[in-house]
Amino acid sequence: MNTSKPPYLGFGLGLRPQHYEEILNGSPAVDWFEVISENYMIPGGQPLRILDQIRERYPVVMHGVSMSIASTAPLDMDYLGALKALAERVDPKWISDHLCWTGVHGMNLHDLLPIPYTEEALDHVVDRVSQVQDFLGRRLTLENVSTYVTFGQSEMTEWEFVTEVANRADCWLLFDVNNVYVSAFNHGFSTDAFLHGVPRDRVVQFHVAGHSHEESHIIDTHDHPVCPEVWDFYRETVAHFGPVSTMIERDDNIPPLAEVVAELDIARKIAGEVSENARLAAAE
Amino acid sequence: MTSLKDLQDSFQRGILTGDDAILGEVNDSAREKRTVLFGVYRNAYVARLAEILGEDYEQVHAYLGDAGFAKLVKSYIDANPSDQRNVRWFGRHFPAFARETAPFANHPEVAEIAALEKALTDAFDGPDATPLGIEDLASIPAEDWPHLTFEPHPTAVRLTFDTNAAAIWSALKDETAPPAPMRLPEPQAILVWRQDLMARFRPIGAEESMMWNEAGKGVRFGVLCEMVATFAGEDDAELRAATYLRGWVDTGMLAGCRVATD
Repeated sequence: MNTSKPPYLGFGLGLRPQHYEEILNGSPAVDWFEVISENYMIPGGQPLRILDQIRERYPVVMHGVSMSIASTAPLDMDYLGALKALAERVDPKWISDHLCWTGVHGMNLHDLLPIPYTEEALDHVVDRVSQVQDFLGRRLTLENVSTYVTFGQSEMTEWEFVTEVANRADCWLLFDVNNVYVSAFNHGFSTDAFLHGVPRDRVVQFHVAGHSHEESHIIDTHDHPVCPEVWDFYRETVAHFGPVSTMIERDDNIPPLAEVVAELDIARKIAGEVSENARLAAAE
Repeated sequence: MTSLKDLQDSFQRGILTGDDAILGEVNDSAREKRTVLFGVYRNAYVARLAEILGEDYEQVHAYLGDAGFAKLVKSYIDANPSDQRNVRWFGRHFPAFARETAPFANHPEVAEIAALEKALTDAFDGPDATPLGIEDLASIPAEDWPHLTFEPHPTAVRLTFDTNAAAIWSALKDETAPPAPMRLPEPQAILVWRQDLMARFRPIGAEESMMWNEAGKGVRFGVLCEMVATFAGEDDAELRAATYLRGWVDTGMLAGCRVATD
């Protein structure tokens, strides 16, 4: 199994069909692309052709939405086989999915559903991550999701659960800055507690995204620009973890490429300022 | 403590059926009641699938309007909980559902517009294959032609419509007023396939449809010519068959040919 830590890639974007033409005809200031694995787990045609062209020019990482790693349903080997086949074609820098489940009894709810933070769930998830990593021949990268409910039976915090999964299953983490912000607001915990609660050496990627504020709760819609509060938390996140491959995630209400690239430039600027401050502090 | 398995059963049931048992397992937040918070998952499930169907069946939506489409979509989602990892295939039963479900079943053009959209989407990301080129055919010795068999491009499918759904689809696609729905005097064959990464369709006549169907079964070109002669007269039968074949090759509808030896 390949266990070496993935490289730092810089500042990337989620590849979206609306931007195919602009990306291939221009040279946007984007260091790498993240692709939704399922969008390319198809027989053939234009999407895979475009993906091959993007791959020739940029590093690519694969991000799945339906591995359902925490589900009590059996692992879907057809899905994993197709994922592995796509990885052989794409040669991604890493493969990520979410620390969640998406359905049981052969159903798929196409949503990132929450896990109770219990020892039972922990044992279950760790065992599944190990099986998937053995099958894929590489470490998996798992992302914390936005959640809207907590369970009465939970025995630990989300960050304790995430940390235990990462350490025991020996996997990488995708730290979704927006998701931490959303869940912290929804459940009343401190973003700093989460930030300082997960193992620094496991984090290989950041997601930054926009959300919808419903006053009593926040929904992780990825259909708005990143809000100032999330940028503030991104600044803290970069200061804590140091340089980590960062990506703007926009899935709905998708603006022209230039607008998302401009958001990515904000991330670059913040990371640059944090790095400069750290350099100055070290020099003093 | 409820097991993880039972908890997930209950959570899923809560989303799919509206069963509230799961509310006994989740907490209110400091700002909001659990019914509202769990409702985020209930709403998201329907909204996400409705959005997918809206993308997959854009012209059905345009034809039925927002209210009519929403009604069809809601009944489809209720009747077909997703069993696919990839949401790409969630809407695969939509044409059949529209054909069988009242009141849409009384408007057969709706199911046929949906069938055309599904076929185009399937062709768009269907399997790759190098199209048969005219130069491939040119290299076949004349004496072998009667024994030639053809392999359709893997994305090519033939649909048969009882209504003018194809004309309605085209008008909607062009954002012009669609013709009134009507039942055709004779069923209309439509070929759908992918050429140069673009999904395409073309209505075809009864004779070409017959020949395409037989060619897809591996019938040799010599026999296809005889069938064409039987279908609509011996005059120019070979020329007609060759013209159809040339059209298929020119538009990438074939993926190969071989000289049958058995």
